Amino acid sequence: MSKTDSYNMFEMDGEMDKKKSKKTKKKERMEGMKKEMDIDDHEITIEELEMRYTTNVNKGLTTTFARQVLERDGPNELRPPKGTPEYVKFARQLAGGLQCLMWVAAVICFIAFGIELSRGNLTCFDDLYLAIVLISVVVVTGCFGYYQEFKSTNIIASFKNLVPQQAVVIRDGQKNEIHANQLVVGDLVEVKGGDRVPADIRIITSQACKVDNSSLTGESEPQTRSPECTHENPLETRNIAFFSTTILEGVATGVIINTGDRTIIGRIASLASGVGNEKTPIAIEIEHFVDIIAGLAIFFGFTFFVVAMFIGYAFLEATIFFMAIVVAYVPEGLLATVTVCLSLTAKRLARKNCVVKNLEAVETLGSTSVICSDKTGTLTQNRMTVAHLWFDNHIHAADTTEDQSGQSFDQSSETWRSLARVTSLCNRATFRPDQEGLPIPRRLVMGDASETALLKFTELTIGNTMDYRNRYKKVVEVPFNSTNKFQLSVHELEDPLDLRYLLVMKGAAERILERCSTILIKGQELPLDEQWKEAFQTAYMDLGGLGERVLGFCHIYLNEKEFPRGYSFDPDEMNFTTSGLCFAGLISMIDPPRATVPDAVMKCRTAGIRVIMVTGDHPITARAIAANVGIISEGSETVEDIAQRKRIPVEQVNKRDARACVISGGQLKDMSSHELDEALKNHPEMVFARTSPQQKLIIVESCQRLGSIVAVTGDGVNDSPALKKADIGIAMGIAGSDAAKNAADMILLDDNFASIVTGVEQGRLIFDNLKKSIAYTLTKNIPELTPYLVYITVSVPLPLGCITILFIELATDIYPSVSLAYEKAESDIMHLKPRNPRRDRLVNEPLAAYSYFQIGAIQSFAGFTDYFAAMAQEGWFPLMCVGLRAQWEDVHLQDLQDGYGQEWTFSQRLYQQYTCYTVFFVSIEICQISDVLIRKTRRLSVFQQGFFRNRVLVSAIVFQLLLGNLLCYCPGMPNIFNFMPIRVQWWFIPVPFGILIFVYDEIRKLGVRRYPGSWWDQELYY
Amino acid sequence: MATLKEKRTCGQRCEDFGHFVWNSDNGTFMGRTPVKWVFISLYYVAFYVVMTSLFCLAIYVLLYTLDPYKPDYQDRLQSPGVMVWPDTYGEEDVEINYNTSDKSSWMKMTNILNKFLEPYNDTAQQGCYNHNCTKGQFYIQNTFSAPHHTKWACPFTTSMLGDCSGQEDPTFGYNCSMPCVIIKMNRIINFLPTNSSEPAPHVNCTILEGQGNVDKMEYFPDGGIMDLSYFPYYGKRAQPLYVNPLVAVRFHLVGEKSAKIQCRVVSQQISYENYHDPYEGKVVFFLNAGK
Repeated sequence: MSKTDSYNMFEMDGEMDKKKSKKTKKKERMEGMKKEMDIDDHEITIEELEMRYTTNVNKGLTTTFARQVLERDGPNELRPPKGTPEYVKFARQLAGGLQCLMWVAAVICFIAFGIELSRGNLTCFDDLYLAIVLISVVVVTGCFGYYQEFKSTNIIASFKNLVPQQAVVIRDGQKNEIHANQLVVGDLVEVKGGDRVPADIRIITSQACKVDNSSLTGESEPQTRSPECTHENPLETRNIAFFSTTILEGVATGVIINTGDRTIIGRIASLASGVGNEKTPIAIEIEHFVDIIAGLAIFFGFTFFVVAMFIGYAFLEATIFFMAIVVAYVPEGLLATVTVCLSLTAKRLARKNCVVKNLEAVETLGSTSVICSDKTGTLTQNRMTVAHLWFDNHIHAADTTEDQSGQSFDQSSETWRSLARVTSLCNRATFRPDQEGLPIPRRLVMGDASETALLKFTELTIGNTMDYRNRYKKVVEVPFNSTNKFQLSVHELEDPLDLRYLLVMKGAAERILERCSTILIKGQELPLDEQWKEAFQTAYMDLGGLGERVLGFCHIYLNEKEFPRGYSFDPDEMNFTTSGLCFAGLISMIDPPRATVPDAVMKCRTAGIRVIMVTGDHPITARAIAANVGIISEGSETVEDIAQRKRIPVEQVNKRDARACVISGGQLKDMSSHELDEALKNHPEMVFARTSPQQKLIIVESCQRLGSIVAVTGDGVNDSPALKKADIGIAMGIAGSDAAKNAADMILLDDNFASIVTGVEQGRLIFDNLKKSIAYTLTKNIPELTPYLVYITVSVPLPLGCITILFIELATDIYPSVSLAYEKAESDIMHLKPRNPRRDRLVNEPLAAYSYFQIGAIQSFAGFTDYFAAMAQEGWFPLMCVGLRAQWEDVHLQDLQDGYGQEWTFSQRLYQQYTCYTVFFVSIEICQISDVLIRKTRRLSVFQQGFFRNRVLVSAIVFQLLLGNLLCYCPGMPNIFNFMPIRVQWWFIPVPFGILIFVYDEIRKLGVRRYPGSWWDQELYY
Repeated sequence: MATLKEKRTCGQRCEDFGHFVWNSDNGTFMGRTPVKWVFISLYYVAFYVVMTSLFCLAIYVLLYTLDPYKPDYQDRLQSPGVMVWPDTYGEEDVEINYNTSDKSSWMKMTNILNKFLEPYNDTAQQGCYNHNCTKGQFYIQNTFSAPHHTKWACPFTTSMLGDCSGQEDPTFGYNCSMPCVIIKMNRIINFLPTNSSEPAPHVNCTILEGQGNVDKMEYFPDGGIMDLSYFPYYGKRAQPLYVNPLVAVRFHLVGEKSAKIQCRVVSQQISYENYHDPYEGKVVFFLNAGK
């Protein structure tokens, strides 16, 4: 089938994506992927291939034609999936739990307004205002959330091009290095060990080429790639290398047959990205909370509906009361508070290199109980580094820290000098030019990982390696290949009088030893006898056991007579001495863990979070790193360890005794999901090695089955299903592919595991602080509602108006409630277990009851005291107010007598009512200041937490007071917003109630601290 | 987590709720055992008893501090309101509509006026007669010289309203086109409408619309004066017999017999241009004597 057909197939997939976004369909198609892969590019001859793509297997495409094809096909990159249209994203922002509550409230307001209007009550526009405000709050916060999402997507986008992937392409017969996304179908590309295959290519020539297909097929064994077609299935055949797979060794050239999204991996990416996101824990919490609110609202509304009917109101009036009560229960300010708190944390996280794509993900990290982490790049530095050396029969540790802050080894020995010389000379890697300013570990190097490590090592320990190499002129060189497993070069000596040649060799340790007859010890050449061989073996095993890649180094001075100057060395024939060499030492390399990781893993442990390592690496290396960073703690044994220690067969070991467990991908393949669950349950310390990304998905699912909230890190395209499946997917900012970043909820800009721990800490903090914010916000609902209830039942003049309530909810109290997000943690939150999503709710019954029926009640009493004071001092005695409503609100009554016999017009009464609103407002404000102070802590005394440590909170209180004063005393307020300039002493009437709130809460906290688990603790700790 | 994400059917939800209401496993009703319900209820009862008593205490202290004779503040009563009787309202404004030929329509007006003037009849005012009111000056009393520890109040009787008193013409002119309206100014404790040097406040009516329809206006008492001796007012407790001074205005309607009239109490201390209170210092009404 030609490429146009595969083109069509892709297009069809896209359409199907839109039509059926059901998971089952996806899975079916995932399964179908292999079958659908209907290409024959691997079967046709080279000539046919050349014809099809109008290319030439020697000269490649012409530049002009390549440009045309590029225009036709687009750049060779994984296009981020079409994604949700912007309006859907926006609509989603408007449809959360709280948002729905507010929509319902707005609709009720409209209905109430409609009823009022139809009854001919033209003056009552409060309902309409309320509805409008409710809708605008939803829309404004929606815009805010949308903007946040948009902004973080932009950050991701900007990171896309930071790590350009280069590819060597042959066009017009010339070799160029170009940006991989410029490649087109038909291009002739050259790949070598360490490269990523830039597109799906048909191999034309190859030399010992092996690829790692694990990201695609899950097979972790290196696979040979050669020009012959070995299988009719394109996924099985040897002559096709796939986009984004890694060349492990060797070189190859090939013709590109598919680019970008039309590659195999591209198709998987676009399929995986269609999987819908799971609900975040915080969304679940908010829904739970909305349930509580709605339940209470309807309960209250219904109760007072019955009361109103009983008192003798008409049915319609009672219905309006019912609606008003339900609406009054909606915490208008809460949505804004939650959104702002979350985005504040998101901002704080972004400063610490975690970019959060979805605001709600901020909290998810806090509830995480399992982290499935990658090894390479996340736990480790992602660069091979010399870790140990063995010479003079001693293992020396090299400095593996990122900033070279560690200790170096003793470099005084003669042997070291020889070993260093071999290391420097027998190395083909070179620094890229113009990097003098950079610290050595950061410099870019041309060469494979081991050589790079050695080059950097010599540069760090000796310095000036390039110059050193120039002094020993290279005569001949035999590069590394998989049959020899060594690399050698012959050099002239530095001293022009010494006419000997120096042969240096490095390679697989045993192979090198085989070729040696002597060994350097303290500068002395000693015969390599059994004793030394044993010493070598021990060292080699030790280093290998650390999961390190061990290389042996040796040299020899070639006999001057046998190999005089000008001798023609033949690298193919090897017409020179290659045995009887002098062994210099071993150097072992590893990708060392990042310095911050062991500490971070320790923190996770104390925080009750399991860290599971999932890596594609070798089990031994994986285990060594795991032990190194503390994923496998000191003293933990695997089943195999126990078996070895007790000298019993593995089967006899009680699996529960083994804390640690290393499972390789091969073993995992044979395990049923139940067995995996068992393994995860039995062994707290797990390492999965040699796993494919697909298996990562299985591991994640298993963890979730066990009730954990799972965070997953990933960078590959094929990680994207796991990232999606995880409760929070974390993509790597540097190493991560766009597909992974798209599937993730969060992106680590520095690929550092320690950043996740910071994220966890922030997530837990925000959960605690959100609880406080919500408690603060909910409290004032009661003093806002009771005036209306009293107004209905006792018929006093209305103590608190609708607009005033909106000012409390959306103006004065927003800043203080947000400021609680800046509150420091009460205890060391990283020493607690992750919250149990089924038990530790965001809003629980004690929180609601305490806020509503205790603190809220005190606030209501404060408000009514102040209200009656303001009324009485102006001439309306408390008992007179009762039942006054009908006369008070009679527009046609201009001479209503107060308690002193004075007569009031309607307007005078109305302004008196506004005075009451303001007085009630002030009371709530004063009590809320006390409230925000008590909400600083849930358990500790405020004195322990410190009054002024949260500066933002202090400024919020000042702001609240200033705004309150502005509303009260700004001219023009009475007629615009119904605020009256009230007498100063009315500000102070609620103060004793504020103090009461504070004292009462301190008593509550004292009881909670003193008697944990007691009845008091159960009922009053939220 | 997985269990949390499960979509539950309505039936399951109801079942869960039922389980919440009565959980037979650990004997909890709505999440608490009956004993715990008793405890928590007792706690809340105690809490609310304490809070209510604190509130009552606060209100008691408040009432204790109040002066029984005058309010602490008169922030909203800077200037008195003025109203007209009959106080019949149309859509928004005072509209005195009647029909000379329809007895029931004007009887409504006269009834309103009769009812309004009830406290002003001579018998009701008897208690005021035992002292001398000096016309033309404020009747300032610093002591409680009247019986029962009160202050004297000057009487105002219907007879002072002359032709509009209803004594000679019980219809108040509503059977013809010479209707009387009565203007009353609201009372405010210790309010002095003028400086003592200035003349007493008087009612002045102007025709805003339909100038041609009003031939003549007559004020009772003469000049529409509210005598200074009725001021200041000392409050319901000090002056239980106090009545507001009234001014009656008789309009001689001609032509279309319809007019928009503003009656204002003219005085230095009484403001009348408050946009937000149309009844402050003045009253606007429509007078319409249909055919």
